[in-house]
Amino acid sequence: MKLMIVDDSNIIRSRISRIIANAKLPPIEIVGTASNGTDAFALCVAQRPDIVTMDLTMPEMDGVECTALLVEFDPNIKILIISALSDKATAIEALKNGANGFLYKPFTDEELVNALLELIKENE
Amino acid sequence: MSDLSEKDIEVFIEAIGNYFKQATKEAAAIKVAYLAQNAFPMNDYTGKIMVSDGYEGALYFSAPSAMLRHLLTVMKETNQSEENLLDAVGEIANTISGNARKYFGENMVISIPEKIANLSENLAQQARSYAYVIIIKWKHYSASLIVDISRNR
Repeated sequence: MKLMIVDDSNIIRSRISRIIANAKLPPIEIVGTASNGTDAFALCVAQRPDIVTMDLTMPEMDGVECTALLVEFDPNIKILIISALSDKATAIEALKNGANGFLYKPFTDEELVNALLELIKENE
Repeated sequence: MSDLSEKDIEVFIEAIGNYFKQATKEAAAIKVAYLAQNAFPMNDYTGKIMVSDGYEGALYFSAPSAMLRHLLTVMKETNQSEENLLDAVGEIANTISGNARKYFGENMVISIPEKIANLSENLAQQARSYAYVIIIKWKHYSASLIVDISRNR
């Protein structure tokens, strides 16, 4: 399974990679990371990941717009939004645009692993 | 413009406490909170989030280098470059303001974080005559959360 990490924070990208590497999950290859929606879309087109973890508040292109583009490009892609934006309207908008799950920051290792397991199940 | 109430400020206090609890399993305690006008307790690194639409002003999270290095160590982050210390304050400010939208709603539009080293204790612009200063304590370190936000009517 191929996964891509999109977040404008270095330490969050690095933390997600570390949690995945140390978790008991089915084999996951991290095929790329991006810090904005524009780079994320280009990288997804090239790498065709199965799952993307997606931040929302990012420079250039935000996560909601990038999610909509990615789902249009690949309707089978699974997108887990990982964001601090905790209002209901944002979550609803992300889900309407094709996201498959929403994890609020700050998150624990266990919460991320459980959210990824849900998407892996959906992908099977 | 209208003032934020004590209950509004508690939202930010709860968010900062929760951040440290989730990230490090040790909540940050509130050491002191007060109103300030011209001089703010800035530390080595500061993350700033501008708010707009239904609100105006900014939120600042400012922490000393040693605290951020300790925080990254607890989070198992080995890269403790200045870039990552700045990233940490930006991410904390972003998380606190993002979490606050659960209470304030989506008409509190928040910017991407601005990350600043050695920010002056005098702010170039203030949305409020007196901004809220909340000093937090985590382990033996102190950091400041400055809420300079007003509600637009």
